[in-house]
Amino acid sequence: MRKALKNEGVQAFIASIFCILLGVLIGYIVLLCINPSGASESILNVIKNFLYKKPARQMKELGNTLAKTMPLILCSLSILFSYKVGLFNIGAAGQYVAGACASLYAALAWGWGWLPCMIFAVVAGALLGSITGLLKAYCNVNEVISGIMLNWICLYTANTLLTNVKESTSPYTMYLDKINKSSLLPTLGLDRVFGNNENVTIAVPLTVVVAVIVWIILGKTKLGYELKATGNNRNAAKYAGMAQNRNIILTLAISGALAGLAASLLYQTGYMRWECTQSSVPAMGFNGIAAAFLGGLHPIGAIFSSFFIQHITDGGQYVNTNFYSSQISDVISSVIIYLCGFVLFIKLTMKKFLSKKDEQKGAKQ
Amino acid sequence: MKKFLAVLLTLALLLSAASFAVADEAMKVAMVTDYGDITDQSFNQTTYEAAKAFCEANGFEFQYYKPASDSDTDRISSIENAIDDGYNVVIMPGYAFAKAIVGTVGENPDTTFIALDVSEYDLQDANGTAKDFSWVYPKNLYSAVYQEELCGYMAGYAAVKLGYKQLGFLGGMAVPAVVRYGYGFVQGADAAAAELGLKDVTMKYVYGNQFYGDADITAYMDTWYAGGTEIVFACGGGIYDSAGEAAAKVGAKVIGVDVDQAAIIDGKYGEGITVTSAMKGLAATVNAQLTAIKEGKFEGGKVENLGLVSEDPDENFVQIAPSTQFADGFTKDDYKALVAKMFAGEIKVSGAIEAEPEVSAIAVEYLGNIK
Amino acid sequence: MGETHNSEYAIEMLHITKRFPGIIANDDITLQLRHGEIHALLGENGAGKSTLMSVLFGLYQAEEGTIKKDGREVRINNPNDANNLGIGMVHQHFKLVECFTVLDNIIMGVEPVGALGFLQKKQAREKVIALSEKYGLQVDPDAKIEDITVGMQQRTEILKMLYRDNEILIFDEPTAVLTPQEIEELMQIMRNLAAEGKSILFISHKLAEIMAVADRCTVLRKGRYIGTVETKNTTMEELSAMMVGRNVNFHVEKQPARPGDAVLEVKHMTVASRVHNNNAVKDVSFKVRRGEIVCIAGIDGNGQSELVYGITGLEPLVSGSILLDGKDITKASIRKRSASGMSHIPEDRHKHGLVLDYSLEYNMVLQTYFESRFTDRIGFLRRKNIRQYSDRLIDQYDVRSGQGSITPARSMSGGNQQKAIIAREIDKNPEVLVAVQPTRGLDVGAIEYIHKQLVAQRDAGKAVLLISLELDEVMDVPDRILVMYEGEIVGELDPKQTTQEELGLYMAGAKRDEVKDQ
Repeated sequence: MRKALKNEGVQAFIASIFCILLGVLIGYIVLLCINPSGASESILNVIKNFLYKKPARQMKELGNTLAKTMPLILCSLSILFSYKVGLFNIGAAGQYVAGACASLYAALAWGWGWLPCMIFAVVAGALLGSITGLLKAYCNVNEVISGIMLNWICLYTANTLLTNVKESTSPYTMYLDKINKSSLLPTLGLDRVFGNNENVTIAVPLTVVVAVIVWIILGKTKLGYELKATGNNRNAAKYAGMAQNRNIILTLAISGALAGLAASLLYQTGYMRWECTQSSVPAMGFNGIAAAFLGGLHPIGAIFSSFFIQHITDGGQYVNTNFYSSQISDVISSVIIYLCGFVLFIKLTMKKFLSKKDEQKGAKQ
Repeated sequence: MKKFLAVLLTLALLLSAASFAVADEAMKVAMVTDYGDITDQSFNQTTYEAAKAFCEANGFEFQYYKPASDSDTDRISSIENAIDDGYNVVIMPGYAFAKAIVGTVGENPDTTFIALDVSEYDLQDANGTAKDFSWVYPKNLYSAVYQEELCGYMAGYAAVKLGYKQLGFLGGMAVPAVVRYGYGFVQGADAAAAELGLKDVTMKYVYGNQFYGDADITAYMDTWYAGGTEIVFACGGGIYDSAGEAAAKVGAKVIGVDVDQAAIIDGKYGEGITVTSAMKGLAATVNAQLTAIKEGKFEGGKVENLGLVSEDPDENFVQIAPSTQFADGFTKDDYKALVAKMFAGEIKVSGAIEAEPEVSAIAVEYLGNIK
Repeated sequence: MGETHNSEYAIEMLHITKRFPGIIANDDITLQLRHGEIHALLGENGAGKSTLMSVLFGLYQAEEGTIKKDGREVRINNPNDANNLGIGMVHQHFKLVECFTVLDNIIMGVEPVGALGFLQKKQAREKVIALSEKYGLQVDPDAKIEDITVGMQQRTEILKMLYRDNEILIFDEPTAVLTPQEIEELMQIMRNLAAEGKSILFISHKLAEIMAVADRCTVLRKGRYIGTVETKNTTMEELSAMMVGRNVNFHVEKQPARPGDAVLEVKHMTVASRVHNNNAVKDVSFKVRRGEIVCIAGIDGNGQSELVYGITGLEPLVSGSILLDGKDITKASIRKRSASGMSHIPEDRHKHGLVLDYSLEYNMVLQTYFESRFTDRIGFLRRKNIRQYSDRLIDQYDVRSGQGSITPARSMSGGNQQKAIIAREIDKNPEVLVAVQPTRGLDVGAIEYIHKQLVAQRDAGKAVLLISLELDEVMDVPDRILVMYEGEIVGELDPKQTTQEELGLYMAGAKRDEVKDQ
């Protein structure tokens, strides 16, 4: 038991679960403070999410949550990949925008098929990531600063470009299924499993495969060895003759590619359309940060943490508006997600606690 | 498999039993918000307040639902939630619901759907049949659209009559409803100028290409007001922020839209800054339809183009706000007379949006989109 | 001092036992510090010195034993308790705010504050100046920490303790970062402090310093108390035998060198400084031949680090060239140099030598992971091979760690970290081994081991370039000494014919030869 507790993976898991419970508890307290009579029901609904629905609609609703989970997984992979290399790619949000812009533009303006659109999105994200990487490697511009700035540049560039393919009477880009059905991701029959939900596509297996690939690259390859060495100790990596600048650029390019793919996998399901007048960067890239940490910075952990976060976010809509204004649902899910950021802290506390215990145990011997 | 079928059958039975029961019981009213919230000072808020007041007065249950995201899928999901929670009337304010309506109305014949501002074109387009208009409206759907050109006309007429000579129109996005407001505004101002024999009335006409104000649009408005513009019709959701902010700097005026925006705009930018508002009768529509359902007189299966139904301005679905700053040039009686003439057909207002309206007395400068 | 004491001892740690899982870090250790004495605590790395001090400082609680202050039993549950008892510590790594002034650092945490919350720096300054005059601690109260020398920073740390009126002062390896002159000054300061009645605990493994400054010395070995001796009644040999449990040979045993061809040739090398605008290395030329150990001696900061950066490729040259085995490697990448037969034991094992969060085995292949024996064609690591290789090195070079190959490098002792680096660099079978302060911060046993390895390399026909700040090492290990002063080589000495005094003159810039271009 004690031995199991000392395992890094087990610790990360327990810490994550603890954060989740703490978040739910605080969310519950917030609800209690506002209006005690609906608190229990509402918090349960948030946790239930799709299970709140009638059984016949549950699978379909689960499909909706899954469709939004896949991009979140990829965003959190993007964050954790660069984080392992000691870079904080807050620019993932902008790379996500670049991916969205590329895939939608290619699909709507040029009529490309789904695969070329997807690859285009990946390339766009990677290019944007490598800009941050180049700035970091050759001009020593902090990747957080340049990332944040590029986020805004991307947002407005995307707004401008996608205005060319938006509906004339609304701020949204045109429907993919109307203009170019071939750009929609194939469903591989998964839609039938999820109550004919056409938002469930090849994105689901593809994302899982990508997560596994990221895991393998980081854990088992020469590239992962080099990148993590660079992340842990830049000077030692240089001393060992690793091509530091190349690694920084490569890392941010891969990270950007993942974020670009994320956007492609959401927008090419037709689930969301781009709103050409939006004035803030989509939160997906930022939520990836929380998901990455909740997942213990492990690629496979990211799959589960992302699902959980999306689950909670979607669950927010089931807060009873007779008791609470609809914004409360955002507050609750934000509280839970925010506490997810404390995973590392909890892990550390747990380690300290264990070593204290060990000391006491030593005392008894 | 057999078991599964059995469960399914039982469920179906239960469900149908439940829906019959609901039909006999009291109405339960739900509202789903579009991309905005119920505090948007516009469509959602007006609809919410009207429906809530009606339900409280009649002792009906009422709840609103906010979709998880700004997407058709989630709007559909929210509508289904309302139905699953036992609500049998669903109100949907805004054109954004077209696709969600097509996706849910047919499958839920026991639920009554009230849509606001969702046009025939929107629905047919959402169904993918915009070219041949072949979608048959289900009997449980009622959608109201409005003759915005009429209240736009009233606002333009009133503005010129009240002595304003340099006018401006700041639209949101050039969607049909906004264009109708704008072209009505142009026609009204032209008619008033012609009546008064004025030759020096001018109008600048632009779209902000979004439904909210920002620094760019405010700067644009600043140049208008600095150049002598006296009053701007801020026509689109929250775009009044830009017009109001710019107007307040030079003591000029604005005109509100959709609902009586005098309270909100004056509250933000100074007492008396809002001369009038061109209003759609959202609340009236909600009241009328809910009353009809309550009394068993609901008539669905159509998109109704609401406008003038009476000589009495207050009974119409398009009006200018009661808070209008009536004065000698344009009194409350003048307004009544104008509505009477419009209702009688003595004054004709074109609702066409394909071409800019013809004018005889004023000069209109069309400036396209700000961005 | 007119104070009266209840007890002969300022601090007594009696029969302290502290266990960790699987290890008894302190096993019934007794340490008694008299009023006004300088008491050395001697032991190898891992002997339990740090644990004992952590117990005294309240970071750990001992399972058995008692602590007495001035004869009265006390409980120290946390560092605040320790501070309240007048116990202060100068850590090996200073805890100073770089961008603050000396005065700000001294008063930090105990700032004198006026009625309105404003700082009253004037009286603080007066107190600091008074203290520095009293104990001969020369500092400029208004200089920023980042601008002053390491010695001055240390004096700031000492003033911090004095400002807080601490009576018991702990110095944790205080000389590791100092130049010989600064060490001499520190010794004087410590004597002054003791004379003024302060009680000093001096943690060290440098026997000469202990003999020079301490009154008594307590020796620990492997968590056990070995004994306490009066320094005037003992010898260095006796102390070191107590410390390592056997007699240690201070003198490096080696045969006369039989140098062969030049392996490393440095010609007119100039390297820029990262700190200031001048060049740190100015037109330096020398050769290192097969079968010899050449040592670059000098006081820290005279361009030795930059010289190494230039040779190993960590920094580009401003001008000049480097030849390895006759081939020009001036512009070659770090990896190319490594592949051409250059090994580098870096000056700072934490900064350059190791990825601390990697396991020992991953650190063992830090320079060779990309070779086909460790990485397959697709780019996957051959982890089995890495494990085997690491296990062999651990065995061969006696690298000790808790869990063998999978031990995180961070959790290893400094000596074993250094051994791992040396194993890695020597096992590459280099033509030239550049060893920069390879024994820094290590205990006698480890030093002896490393010196043996360097000599073995030499005897195997390799060229060894040693950079050292330790006079003993400079005199003992190499076959030739090149003295560096202000970026230039100012003298070439034969260790067998020179004296420490002569070497010191060269190092201090008081004497210089025109070193002939070889």
